[in-house]
Amino acid sequence: MSAALDAVAAEWRKALTLPATLIALAVAVAGPVALAALNASQNATDSAAEAVLAASPLLTIGAIVLGVVTAGSEYSAGRPVAVTFAVMPRRAVVLVAKAVVVTGLVLVGSAVAMPGALLAARAAGGGPGETEPGRWLGVAVYAALIALIALGITTLTRSTVVPLIVLVANGTVVSLAFLLYLVTPLARYLPDLAGMRMLAGDDRIAIDDALAPLPGGLVMAAWTVALLAVAAAVQRRRDA
Amino acid sequence: MLTFDDLVKRRGSRDILSGVTFRAEPGRVTAFLGPNGAGKSSTLRILLGLDRPTSGTALVDGQPYASLRRPLRVVGSVLDGSGAHRSRPARQHLAWVARSNGIPRRRVGEVLEQVGLADAARVRAGRLSLGMGQRLGLAAALLGTPSALVLDEPVNGLDPEGIRWIRGLLRSFADDGGTVLLSSHLMGEVASLADDLVVIAGGRIVATGPLDRVTAGYPSLEDAFFALTSGGAR
Repeated sequence: MSAALDAVAAEWRKALTLPATLIALAVAVAGPVALAALNASQNATDSAAEAVLAASPLLTIGAIVLGVVTAGSEYSAGRPVAVTFAVMPRRAVVLVAKAVVVTGLVLVGSAVAMPGALLAARAAGGGPGETEPGRWLGVAVYAALIALIALGITTLTRSTVVPLIVLVANGTVVSLAFLLYLVTPLARYLPDLAGMRMLAGDDRIAIDDALAPLPGGLVMAAWTVALLAVAAAVQRRRDA
Repeated sequence: MLTFDDLVKRRGSRDILSGVTFRAEPGRVTAFLGPNGAGKSSTLRILLGLDRPTSGTALVDGQPYASLRRPLRVVGSVLDGSGAHRSRPARQHLAWVARSNGIPRRRVGEVLEQVGLADAARVRAGRLSLGMGQRLGLAAALLGTPSALVLDEPVNGLDPEGIRWIRGLLRSFADDGGTVLLSSHLMGEVASLADDLVVIAGGRIVATGPLDRVTAGYPSLEDAFFALTSGGAR
């Protein structure tokens, strides 16, 4: 147990002393705040509360970057992963510690970004509208899960470029799951589509039979856990 | 004591290591000599649990390294420079390494002082010279006051003063009962430092024993080295 706590504390310190992590956090927090203010000032949305939700994809992007750099920084120049595994030989513990740190950072980032975005949107002239705590929680949980998926994929690929491009494009340009949904409705069980209603109301999603927020969130969480388990198994077997 | 027993490592159809067997004993400096690509790093990486052997074992005081709960208190190691992330300052690198093994924070300042990096504590690892990077790696290895040091090419990039310094450090570490295993392809540095030699060529151990015994019958360590490694490799 103490070894696991040591690992979390070590990974926490690592994350906070890496410029890339801090930049990702800044994107996750400052991005939604700025975009919400912009939305509100342009009257792009009906209310400040709406402006916040419309700005939340930037939180998701920050979370993706956070997950990618947390795993990917181990494989940058000089291969820091060798020191990591030499000082913490239980690799699964390291991956769990990284997952705990990423989750913590995303949740803290969300807890700052969402109220900050609301304040900014109000200050920029948005009407109050109706703030939905459940929706905010959904946004934070979705961001944390997508960050963990990014962590898992990057652990498998050992390079940051591909996961970063694929995940950010998937989240902004077009979702692969959505394309698949055009072929089969089963695609609504794929992780990002499954969790979509945590962020967005029924009326804002391009598919008609999306999973409700709670079951959808659970499906997305199950994907995440499965992916991390695969990453742990692969990481355990291969040479560092 | 570090023991290697019949290590075999195969990558695809290539034999990296074939039956590597030797020991590094407490109170002695063991030099692991061989040309580039002979299998030195692979052997050390297997000892540290970073690579998996195809067969055979490498043990630290009779245990696999990976089973050590706080390995830095038993073995300090340096592979391939400092291994620190380039954008993390030296002190922060040591701080997380210390934290990972429950080592008190004050040790960070102590080892920085010990390796002569106190003035560079805030410098990002990527901006350190090769020699300073070696010192940072060594600082991390010393954090947990281990009983063994495993160093891959530790004199690489050190200036003459640095080489002299590391020689003194390793000598006194062994004289205090510690085990030192260091790899090198440079014989000059090793000849004045090692008690025991292990010579590897083409993934096979071609000689082991006390320095004077391995070099007996040759005019110098260098002659012994070339005679041994050219015979052993293919």
